[in-house]
Amino acid sequence: MDAKELLRCERSAIRLAIEAGAMMTAASGRNKEIAEKDSFADLVTETDKAVEKFLFNELKRLFPDFRFIGEETSSRVGLTADPTWIIDPIDGTMNFVHTFPCTCVSIGLTVNKVPVVGVIYSPFLDKLYTARKGSGAYCNGRPISVSKNCNSLSEALLLCEFGNQRDDEKKNAVFRNLEAVGWLVHGVRCMGSAALNLCSVADGSADAYWEFGLHVWDMAAGAVIVTEAGGVVMDTKGGPVDIMNRRILGACCDKIGHELSAALPIHLDLESD
Amino acid sequence: MNPEQLLDCERVAIQVAIGAGAMMRTARQAGRLEISTKDFSKDLVTETDKQVERSVFDRIRQHFPNHRFIGEESRFEGIGGEKGLTSEPTWIIDPIDGTMNFVHNNPHTCVSIALAVGGQPVVGVVYGPFLDKLYTARSGAGARCNGQPISARKNCRQLSDALVIAEPGIFKDPDDRRRDLANINAIVWKSHGLRCNGSAALQLCCLAEGSADALWHWGIHVWDYAAGGLILTEAGGVVLDTQGGPVDWCRRRVIGASSLELGQELSATLVEHLEFERD
Repeated sequence: MDAKELLRCERSAIRLAIEAGAMMTAASGRNKEIAEKDSFADLVTETDKAVEKFLFNELKRLFPDFRFIGEETSSRVGLTADPTWIIDPIDGTMNFVHTFPCTCVSIGLTVNKVPVVGVIYSPFLDKLYTARKGSGAYCNGRPISVSKNCNSLSEALLLCEFGNQRDDEKKNAVFRNLEAVGWLVHGVRCMGSAALNLCSVADGSADAYWEFGLHVWDMAAGAVIVTEAGGVVMDTKGGPVDIMNRRILGACCDKIGHELSAALPIHLDLESD
Repeated sequence: MNPEQLLDCERVAIQVAIGAGAMMRTARQAGRLEISTKDFSKDLVTETDKQVERSVFDRIRQHFPNHRFIGEESRFEGIGGEKGLTSEPTWIIDPIDGTMNFVHNNPHTCVSIALAVGGQPVVGVVYGPFLDKLYTARSGAGARCNGQPISARKNCRQLSDALVIAEPGIFKDPDDRRRDLANINAIVWKSHGLRCNGSAALQLCCLAEGSADALWHWGIHVWDYAAGGLILTEAGGVVLDTQGGPVDWCRRRVIGASSLELGQELSATLVEHLEFERD
């Protein structure tokens, strides 16, 4: 894809993310229909579905030949080399339901299975994170960068999540991993949105993040934002990231990423997206 | 203290908090983050903590020269050499709550200023300069964020509906760590989810504005929860001792909740109760 087309994609994603953010703001605190998905902590709202439908329709109109993966409607179609929009209409639905501000719309574009455009907009935090391959990462138009003065894991501020699945294997893995790394580091934070966690690594307000069980739509946009901000994304075991493989580790640099990877005792293997 | 005096105290606290926030912003922009350690490598203090506390003390003293002061960095500095929280008007200051976040360029950090009379907070101001949020309350007058009234969530009465806040990984002692984790394990899977942002004062404000429903803390100090605790109760929430009784501001532990029922269920669900040396 040429540079001009990439820019057109990014601009469209930004415009649509802002509109989606307005839909979220309008619906905030007013969710009447909330359904459970896999567990009582895995919720979906009417706003999730409305935002996804809106984004799908607009992107289809603007980019009729592109493919589409979306959390609520098109989640099991598989990733090909074709340009593919990958959408999470509301990342951090639990936060959205509770009016906890860490929630966002995440719009990623992959080409040849690699994220090349990422736009993440959090209307309640008033933060618009954007990146396209080769052009750096930005928050509200200002360049952002990962933290540069974290020299070892013992100095790191980490992000992690307990997740919305309640099966025993997952609960055990989360617990054991937290037990292993929680006291090695400067601190552990849990904010409830994978996409915003990646942005937090990208803008230097945290040094590393890992999660098992998330989906491609949670990480496609964030992955390119982290790398364009000078950070790294990898598989939790330290190899190259596979965004369809339900796990990710993002870090301010390779060294911290690999130290964190080595410190995690449990690496879950989950069914691919 | 009459309502007019209380209002006067609140106004001074707000002014001083905004000044403190400006100092924090300046320090961050200048990259001035000289750090020394206190008890443990994670218990950091910066030069900015100390500067902010000195500045807050000095400015409040100009207005209220006969009041007492308790501040994190200078601990229990008072007139007459007494220690601890008495019934006299006492300002309780945390110059930078969430120092770890401050050092890491994370926005979840704030200055916390409380005034206690009769051993109870009557004015509370928490200002997060990087979040642009000024939380305020005075006894009997409700709670506000940036001037707008705020309220704790009104219909959350059980843990299974609740978004819970707690702080994993802060204890030095391995036994405390094990017990801390046991509590998290006991609570998180029964609730909608666990959040932690690294600042107790901001977390109490989070409950006050209805963005989360319950929290618990051990090991914190009076300056971490005096202001936030008042803001939460004035917003319609509750603060309790972790064992379910009335809160003790110097006992180094607290439960905050949007309702009494929820707070009591949280207390009953905790499996380990820790004790720390009183403030």
